[in-house]
Amino acid sequence: MKNIIKIIPVLILFISLSCNKGIEPGEPTGPFGFSGKVTFVGKWPAGIKRTHIVVFKNEIKKVEDFFNYFSFIVDSIPNGAKEFKYNSIDNPFNPNIKLTPGIYSYVVVAQSKTPEITLIRSDWNVVGVYCINGDQNKPKPLIINQGQITTDVNITVDFNNPPPQPPM
Amino acid sequence: MKFLIKFILVYFFIVSINYSQNTFKGKIINQKGEPVLGASVIVLGSSSGTSADENGFFVLSNIKENIIDIQISAVGYEKRIIKNVQPQKQINVILNEISILTNQIVVTAGKFEQNIQDLTVSTVVLSPEIIKKKNYITLDELLRNIAGIQMNLEQVSIRGSSGYSKGAGARVLVAINGLPIYSGDNGDIVWEMIPTNDIDRIEIIKGPASSLYGSSAIGGVINIITKTNTKNALTNFRNYIGFYDKPAYEVWDWSKSYRKFFGTELTHSNSSDKLGYTFSIKKFDNDSYRQSDFYKRILGYTKLNYNFNENDNITFFANYLNQNRGNFLYWKDSRNALVPKDEENGNTVKSNRLFTGIVYHNVFDNNLSADFKASYYKTKFTGYGVEITTSTADLFRTEAIANYKYNDKMFFTGGIEFSTANISSNIFKNPSFYGGAGYFQLEFHQIKNLIATFGTRFDLMKLDTLNVKSAITPRLGLNYKIDNNLVLRSSIGTGFRAPTPSEVFTTAGVGGGVDVIENPNLTYETSLSFETGLNYSVSNQYLLDAAFYQTDYNNFIEPNLTKEGDIQFINLPKARIQGFEFLFDWKITDELKINGGYNYMWARDLNKKIAMKYRPKNSFNFSARYTPSQFEFGIDYRFSSKVEEIDNALVQPPLALVTDGEKRVPVFVTDLLFGYNFFIMNIPTKIFFNVKNLLNYNYVEFIGNIAPIRNFTLSLEFYF
Repeated sequence: MKNIIKIIPVLILFISLSCNKGIEPGEPTGPFGFSGKVTFVGKWPAGIKRTHIVVFKNEIKKVEDFFNYFSFIVDSIPNGAKEFKYNSIDNPFNPNIKLTPGIYSYVVVAQSKTPEITLIRSDWNVVGVYCINGDQNKPKPLIINQGQITTDVNITVDFNNPPPQPPM
Repeated sequence: MKFLIKFILVYFFIVSINYSQNTFKGKIINQKGEPVLGASVIVLGSSSGTSADENGFFVLSNIKENIIDIQISAVGYEKRIIKNVQPQKQINVILNEISILTNQIVVTAGKFEQNIQDLTVSTVVLSPEIIKKKNYITLDELLRNIAGIQMNLEQVSIRGSSGYSKGAGARVLVAINGLPIYSGDNGDIVWEMIPTNDIDRIEIIKGPASSLYGSSAIGGVINIITKTNTKNALTNFRNYIGFYDKPAYEVWDWSKSYRKFFGTELTHSNSSDKLGYTFSIKKFDNDSYRQSDFYKRILGYTKLNYNFNENDNITFFANYLNQNRGNFLYWKDSRNALVPKDEENGNTVKSNRLFTGIVYHNVFDNNLSADFKASYYKTKFTGYGVEITTSTADLFRTEAIANYKYNDKMFFTGGIEFSTANISSNIFKNPSFYGGAGYFQLEFHQIKNLIATFGTRFDLMKLDTLNVKSAITPRLGLNYKIDNNLVLRSSIGTGFRAPTPSEVFTTAGVGGGVDVIENPNLTYETSLSFETGLNYSVSNQYLLDAAFYQTDYNNFIEPNLTKEGDIQFINLPKARIQGFEFLFDWKITDELKINGGYNYMWARDLNKKIAMKYRPKNSFNFSARYTPSQFEFGIDYRFSSKVEEIDNALVQPPLALVTDGEKRVPVFVTDLLFGYNFFIMNIPTKIFFNVKNLLNYNYVEFIGNIAPIRNFTLSLEFYF
């Protein structure tokens, strides 16, 4: 009996470690996403097959980051458009590509000359950046909160003044 | 004279009162219901004692006391003390086999009989009795409580050898009597197939064993040794019923009812002069605590053994599993953690599996013996969902093994094997597979207290359109007995693993519009591993074991997200797993025993410099068992730290296939056991009550899959 009494504190210690319930249900949420408009300035380049708003988790510092940090893509913008208003909930490129709440450091408008969508860096040309005070060298983080639509995620694409290109 | 006669009568009457002699009777059997011949029965506090006869009966006569305490012991069994025994009642005692077996004979490590103390690799031997006592329905539940072994849902990993790949390929070879039971298509292990009622022991080799077992054993071997046939007719009937408690959160209570499970199992075994047989049938159903996660299973098992003579015998066994189950892939989200995604709700899988094996054993003389083994495994499943998936696979395997004792200091084991598989499937294509291998191992006892083993294996295999591949996997091991109690072991060896047809050829949707795509360029993974360990044991009282291990992998096969957003199995260039493991087993008293273990593991993808997926750094387990008289009380506790890396591609944008899939926590699980052994009309009976996940702790072993919540089981077992 003495031996049993000795091991009881050990058992209590172990069991007390599991006294919280572990995984808990998340808070109920409504829809979340982002919206805004893209304004195009200048003449569209020739041969463009696709123009999309593309969201990356982090800035692209290496070629492979283009794939690794890719997070979301809005539906294709019609060729030759002057202005495109969008909402990530209503205009996803593919409903299976989903955002989650969080901070996304690099949001761009990118164009491709390939008919099929790829995540190969060399297939894309960045033509506009969601940025701070219009300075395309300073990307503005996109913050998406649970149950909220982040508005005014506006990007200006000036074909005459292209932004710096990530490594290719 | 009359006075004298009266005096003598009174005298003898008084004497007979003072020195009345009591007789105590009883019967001693083991857990199989067999009498324990020669079991020793001692009256505590006296020199009186006796032993059990061939039927297990004993008689203690001429005992002065009216109430006594007796101690019952037998070689290979745990000692039992029965208190307050009275003469008018028959004492019936069931002895349990001892849990610490320092002189255990094993056959897995070298493919011949060896003392566990002579091995050069970490080895664990498990008794099957624990499966019934803890009401483990399948063998994988038992493995969760073994240090160094981790289960990710149904996928077993020894010392971090595997992550999780939905059953597509294993790195631990699971075998019945040395015959592997991995399926021909996805190379998975179906734990439900294993006939838990015919297990004699389970031998686990912790570490690569490719040098003897080939491709699938790159992470270790779990070999299930079945029982020898009983000498007398023995029927075992076991029944269990149970239910899951309500979930911890009301929002998870999707069914508004207690979900039930039950099972019933009938086994009969007997033998004549030369022929022995075992037949078993088992039905086990489970409503599950999760929606669309039920199962209904029927398992039939038969084993026939024929002894031509004392040197020559053949064993045939077959088991057949019919299963209809739900197909729960991932939760809907953490608020609907026990409900699948809408598009997957209602998915089911029907499967049939037949595994047959034959083992012919011949002893030529005292120095030479040989085994011939053959098996056939047919698997067929049909998955019903948005798409219908099917696969039928036939796997044939043969092996010839020879054991030769050259002299007292040198032993040779060698063999050849051949296997072939044909698959017909709408998700794995229709590939075929051929493989052949030859191997040998030499064991030297030339130096006092030192055992050295050297072995190598040559494999040649061809998987459908992939190029023919060969592999040579040598291994060297040393075992040095520092003294009678302390053994040092060390081994270094190579391993290899061929990709399974499912890893190469799978083309199927996994939900949410994500596809798994084939990779015909997938190549073979190889490993170099090292282990050194120290084992200290004193009789059956204490056992301490410590081991350091390291394995370097090249071309490690893991699922990965492609740039096109598909999942594909690829080769990781380099990975390393290092770790330290400590085990203890301590019999504090005859009635109280504790055991446990700790494992520290560092598993890294060396190129990406991140942790390998689903490998906890720290894991710990502890068990205590108290067996006063006919009662049993047990507690099991296990902990593993939160895994660092998961399948982030399935959890994070852009796929975010599993909402809230990043939710994971350390694992803390406590199980309780209460048991009572007794007789009903002279029939040995056991009743057990189990509580699993006592504190209803919610955790995942794989993203979006809450592990079983608190559940209660009552089981009843008869031997007649």
